[in-house]
Amino acid sequence: MAERSTERIGFACAYTPLALIQAAGFAPYRILPMGDWPDQAGQLLHDNLCPHVKRLLDRAMAKDLPDLSGVIFVNSCDAMRRLADAWRKVRPNDRTVLIDLPATADALSVSFFGKEMERLAGILDEWSGCSINAAEIEDSLFQYGQLARLLSDLSNRNRRGALSGGSTRIQELRNLAVTEPVEQTILLLQQALAESPATMNGQSGVPVFVFGNMLPDPAAFALFETCGVHVVGDDFCTGSRMFGEYEPSLSEPNIFRRMAERILSHPPCARTFDPGQPIKIASDIVNQAVACNAQGVIGHTVKFCDPYLARIPMIREALKTANIPFLFLEGDCSLRSIGQQRTRIEAFIEMLR
Amino acid sequence: MMKQYFDGLVAGIERTLRENPENKSPRKIYALEVAKLGSRLYSGKKRVAWCGVTAPFDLLNAMGVTSCFVEFVGAMLASTGMAGAYLEEAEHAGYAGDTCAYHRGVIGAMRKGLMPEPDFLIATSVPCTGGLAVMETLAKHFNKDLFVLNVPQRLTEESVQYLADQIRAMVAFVENHTGESLDKENLRRAIHFTNEARVLTEEVYRLAQSVPSPANGRVLSNFGIVMALLLGTKAGVDVATAYRDEFRKMIDNGESGVADEKLRLLWIQNRIQFKNPLVDMLEADYGAAIVSDELNDITWGAIDPEVPFEGMARRAISIPFNGDVTRRIAHLQQLAKRYRIDGAINPCNWGCRQGTGARGLISEGLKEIGVPVLNLEVDCIDSRNFAEGQLRTRLEAFTEMLNERPSIW
Amino acid sequence: MYYLGIDIGSLSCDAVLIDAQENILATSVVPTGARNQEAIARATAEVFRATGLSETDLKATVSTGYGRDRVQSRTAAVTEITCHARGLQALKPDIRLLIDIGGQDSKAILLGRDGRVMDFAMNDKCAAGTGRFLEAMARALQVDIDELGELDNGAERNLTLSSMCTVFAESEVVSLIADGVAVNEIVRGLNRSIASRTLSLVKRVYSGIEGLPVAMSGGVARNAGVIRSLSDALNQAIFVPEKPDTVGAFGAALIAKERMENGKAA
Repeated sequence: MAERSTERIGFACAYTPLALIQAAGFAPYRILPMGDWPDQAGQLLHDNLCPHVKRLLDRAMAKDLPDLSGVIFVNSCDAMRRLADAWRKVRPNDRTVLIDLPATADALSVSFFGKEMERLAGILDEWSGCSINAAEIEDSLFQYGQLARLLSDLSNRNRRGALSGGSTRIQELRNLAVTEPVEQTILLLQQALAESPATMNGQSGVPVFVFGNMLPDPAAFALFETCGVHVVGDDFCTGSRMFGEYEPSLSEPNIFRRMAERILSHPPCARTFDPGQPIKIASDIVNQAVACNAQGVIGHTVKFCDPYLARIPMIREALKTANIPFLFLEGDCSLRSIGQQRTRIEAFIEMLR
Repeated sequence: MMKQYFDGLVAGIERTLRENPENKSPRKIYALEVAKLGSRLYSGKKRVAWCGVTAPFDLLNAMGVTSCFVEFVGAMLASTGMAGAYLEEAEHAGYAGDTCAYHRGVIGAMRKGLMPEPDFLIATSVPCTGGLAVMETLAKHFNKDLFVLNVPQRLTEESVQYLADQIRAMVAFVENHTGESLDKENLRRAIHFTNEARVLTEEVYRLAQSVPSPANGRVLSNFGIVMALLLGTKAGVDVATAYRDEFRKMIDNGESGVADEKLRLLWIQNRIQFKNPLVDMLEADYGAAIVSDELNDITWGAIDPEVPFEGMARRAISIPFNGDVTRRIAHLQQLAKRYRIDGAINPCNWGCRQGTGARGLISEGLKEIGVPVLNLEVDCIDSRNFAEGQLRTRLEAFTEMLNERPSIW
Repeated sequence: MYYLGIDIGSLSCDAVLIDAQENILATSVVPTGARNQEAIARATAEVFRATGLSETDLKATVSTGYGRDRVQSRTAAVTEITCHARGLQALKPDIRLLIDIGGQDSKAILLGRDGRVMDFAMNDKCAAGTGRFLEAMARALQVDIDELGELDNGAERNLTLSSMCTVFAESEVVSLIADGVAVNEIVRGLNRSIASRTLSLVKRVYSGIEGLPVAMSGGVARNAGVIRSLSDALNQAIFVPEKPDTVGAFGAALIAKERMENGKAA
């Protein structure tokens, strides 16, 4: 295994192969849109562009980043592609790469994405000066699989209302999992699971399933909780979507293709879909909400997000058909924007009670 | 309703062409072919496929499928002054007002029964994420099969192979739906037409570069993107021929597209699709001619009939909207040089993340070579928000500024 | 021989009368109100009254501002971007960057050494950061618009308003008042928001503003608080002409004279 160090590789999208970064001897560091920076990105991009992307660029322009040995971008949506462009402009000395990501998970696309993984491995080799081997990737995939399982155990405990700190704490741990070396987070998660279950602290809240794109701030979950929401399940690109459990006994012998298959089979962002089952995202959300016994669903997306904005009406319809109340909120990655929604969230919970 | 509209349009243009055979303007011939396509789409009889912008239309034409990118409907609604009601329909159904109005118009038309029901759909991942989403929505609404072409960003052999393989799979998908297999002879003929139109169109653009230019703000508007729909057909060759002949004649006679051409402008991305006085104002008050549009260019090589799908894959990957913005900027810089451009106008179509998302970088790139850029805030489809006065002020100030500068060429 | 410049904006209609030596003989500023023609007539009448001159003494009139095409007596209409640049260059030739914030538009104009417009950027459609925005905020704070300029005195916090949309900012101001935040802190917060908005406009025309001599014109330039915040944001002093709202009309009058001399009046 390559020498472990805390040299970091920045990334911004949940489709980034964290295991590959770690196998190359780096710690993946998700550049999160949390903090307060002067608004400068609008002039390079456009004010009418994803606030997640703008805030990441603001962060880069304010030079509020740890040392990064490289930054990986994924061509997951138009806004992300523009982030890669603008990043190169404002931080010309960063080593960067943009990985292509198909919108579908058919065999041709898995194979192409596998080649993209292989290309990325080559670039990481260049950045580290060592070369990654398949066994290291396998180990790393296993570790991230373990991480995913631990996080999912914690979520289950929280669903029963038996985790002290609730969903706020889970989000804190998830943020650590994508900004600190994986071994460290695994230890923290094991410790959290070793605690004796808290006494049903979430019982007073109404069980709600929440989904959307970016919601990294633990304080946002705290706000949900103070509004009477008990988050029994969630699906965000800053949440469970980054971590998928790993089954090593797959028939595919090529490690890169296997990794590609695994990433493309994570719970998808709205930008990835199955042409054979259009707008499956709507029934997926209904099923997830039902599976965790949610009484209502809250959707929270950052503004100007084309993949979600285009699917919300059909998601709304599906939830209506399934008789599940739905509240849709839009934010701009700042806690203030979600704070302004407090009345709506409280009214929604009052309605569900 | 639309069927009658397009049939009426076809009949009207044919009558004009018959009555004034000496006055065969190329724009009329172009408009006739577009109207015929509209008429086929709405005929209810033809096999119809709604597509993404970078679909291989010549291949689909060879397979007897009337195919068109969905954005055509948004543009049609705007140019006929009908967009408002359809956009409202989409907005009332929850489709957010800050998304692209081309696509919102399509959703409105879908919901109000104005979109012809397709036999199947072929989405393309380029140019934009929003375009893919609307295709998925249409497939769900019409309950029709959807095929997705993932167009990779980088022009490498691997990318070409990936897309060519997908095009092969698409042929099988279409054959499945039509029950007819791709006829080799039809394909060969379509490729021949494509290549012929390609050479002619390149010549049209080369002629448009003359100073003064035979082009003006109208003759070539939307040309490049719509020509893609006519590829693989005789009609495409005829339209390109008409333009080439007309431009040659004008240059020989010392005529220009704008009578007293003072400023040469480059229009970035899409035109404003509804009726508005801005282009006329630029020409009449300032002698400012839009001589080039970003999408009016041939960025791909001839298609080799021996390996056609690879050539089509290269063509799709080559469009300037694909890939890093540096590629797009380099292309705009080339156009500015070829056409000796004084200034560029970017309408920054509201809600277009892929296009306007990089407007700052594009401005900087053109400024680097001394070409100023005017960024507007326009919704190219939705005239409900059209602030004519504000736009006039910006355009006038821009031309005043250009007039004060010595030409850089 | 005399030249008249008329700048008809959304909030005020300004007139400036100059002589052949480019001396300003009279200026007037009247509210535009709902009737453009009346405002034009009143502004013109005021400069004639002050100088004892009349229509027949004029050699040329240039109109500018959003209502420039409504001025019937115009020799030519020129946009306010060109006029502000020209007017300011005559007042202070070394200025390279001009920020003009009027009633419904804000602009950053980069000037060449000879006063030519090199580049400009204007605010997007909404009224955020303009005179209209400040009017709405004064209303929300229940203070007079003219008081607003000094109301940030003594403010220390670095409050920022997240909404720049006039409508949302108004409700944000109302909720800050409800939270008991002092008026001077809110006003400073508003000024900082305008400054940040303006800064991004400035950066669109020129990114290395450090050391570039900056001036401000337009009605909002009379608001000392905005100037203070903007000056902080740009990290340098800002030149404000004595009558910032009449710079456009002055520029128009100068262009009227130049065009007459060059025989390009059309």
